[in-house]
Amino acid sequence: MKIEGYEFPDDLWYDRHHNWARIEGDVATIGLTDFGQALAGEILYAELPRPGRKITQGRPYMSLESGKWVGHIKAIVSGTVLEVNEEIEFESRIINEDPYGQGWVARVRLEGQPEGLLRAGDPEFAALIAAEKKKHGK
Amino acid sequence: MNLYDLGHVPWLDSQLIYHALPRLGLEGLILLAPKEPYVCIGYHQDVEQEVDLSYCRRQGIPVFRREVGGGAVYLDGQQLFYQLVLRRDRPLALGDKASLYRRLLAPVVQTYRDLGVDARYKPVNDIITAEGRKISGNGAAEIADHLVLVGNLIADFDYETMVRVLRLPDEKFRDKVFASLRENLTTLKRELGRIPPWETMTATLIRNFETLLGPLTPTPLPPAVREKAAELAAFYTTTDWLHKARRRPHKGRRVKIAEGVEVVRRVHKAPGGLIRATVEVRQGRIESAEISGDFFFYPAEKLAALEDHLAGVALEDAEEAIAAFYRAHAVESPGMTPRDLALALGAG
Repeated sequence: MKIEGYEFPDDLWYDRHHNWARIEGDVATIGLTDFGQALAGEILYAELPRPGRKITQGRPYMSLESGKWVGHIKAIVSGTVLEVNEEIEFESRIINEDPYGQGWVARVRLEGQPEGLLRAGDPEFAALIAAEKKKHGK
Repeated sequence: MNLYDLGHVPWLDSQLIYHALPRLGLEGLILLAPKEPYVCIGYHQDVEQEVDLSYCRRQGIPVFRREVGGGAVYLDGQQLFYQLVLRRDRPLALGDKASLYRRLLAPVVQTYRDLGVDARYKPVNDIITAEGRKISGNGAAEIADHLVLVGNLIADFDYETMVRVLRLPDEKFRDKVFASLRENLTTLKRELGRIPPWETMTATLIRNFETLLGPLTPTPLPPAVREKAAELAAFYTTTDWLHKARRRPHKGRRVKIAEGVEVVRRVHKAPGGLIRATVEVRQGRIESAEISGDFFFYPAEKLAALEDHLAGVALEDAEEAIAAFYRAHAVESPGMTPRDLALALGAG
């Protein structure tokens, strides 16, 4: 579904830091939302976690660079990185172009259930995106 | 807000202090310049692809990886650096990148104007003169819930050493980068015919930043910042940190000169042979192009004419322009189409 002009597929989970997760059993595929990539601007570089690294929900796990600006992305889930999308390190703009498809970031074996995730259809989520849009002037 | 007006400091301090401040939860505006020249690469850069490390070693020029984005730069005492550290939750630090840069660089633009240069902000992070030449480099990072903006007033610039410290494919390409830098990057000295006194530059910057930040209180650097900087030095000066990012080599070499201006060397393998192209691109248009390789091109003397023909052509129109040139001059290049040449130039 579309919220404030940005695409948010119904079958994914979302956090408050503009990440998405597709959870299948104890493995999550994660990435940046359409709003998240718009907020970042044209992404020139991304530094991804190495497979085997443990990441923690709410803590930085990767970095992005756009407009000489380095930002750090907080993880949407906790667990062990199984695989990363190496294409992103070569051509980071695929996050901008296809955030839910070719621009996926990592697959993670979950440790515990992630907390506080929302669906696109939750009224709370729509309110969050509206507030974020206003805050960041998007 | 605290002002740390530190003058010329040891080169490593010129990087470590702004990395230390946010980690201690401290805001502030730092003004300084390095006593010794050094090379500084962006957070995500691969130092081995960007910098001629053996040249730097021979010349005793240190190389540092910063947490801020952007490209490899040669920094010295002729550049006055402002380093602004703001809590991320301040209204001043909210907004998208372009609006933040515009807001935070307004004092720098005004400083150039007060010093006599008709400067303006150019999205996303440049400050340019009325003639469109870059006169300040800027970058940013999010460090420990703080926003860090770093940039410089360029009093004078050592163009020769800048192009010498970069790792470039050959001397011809180096000459091209040098010429483009000279054309597209300027300094206070070139604009005014003189370098304003250091005190004037710092006082003007402070006055203009106060318009944005409120009163700035001159403050000695707290011992805790020195201690944190020393602690960070133990990590930031390691080989592991410097060589942290390894990237797959791109097919070619790209040197960004300013926003929208770059010099690119590409290699493209066509069925008829290898094409090497060096192109200077400005706002999506070819400024100049040099094409060579082991392909066949008849009449051979028309290759230089084709290079001239491409000046001013938009990259996206390059293939059509080359095809038109082929038709007009009955060019034949077995195994190499206008599309191959356009790809070597970076179109498509």
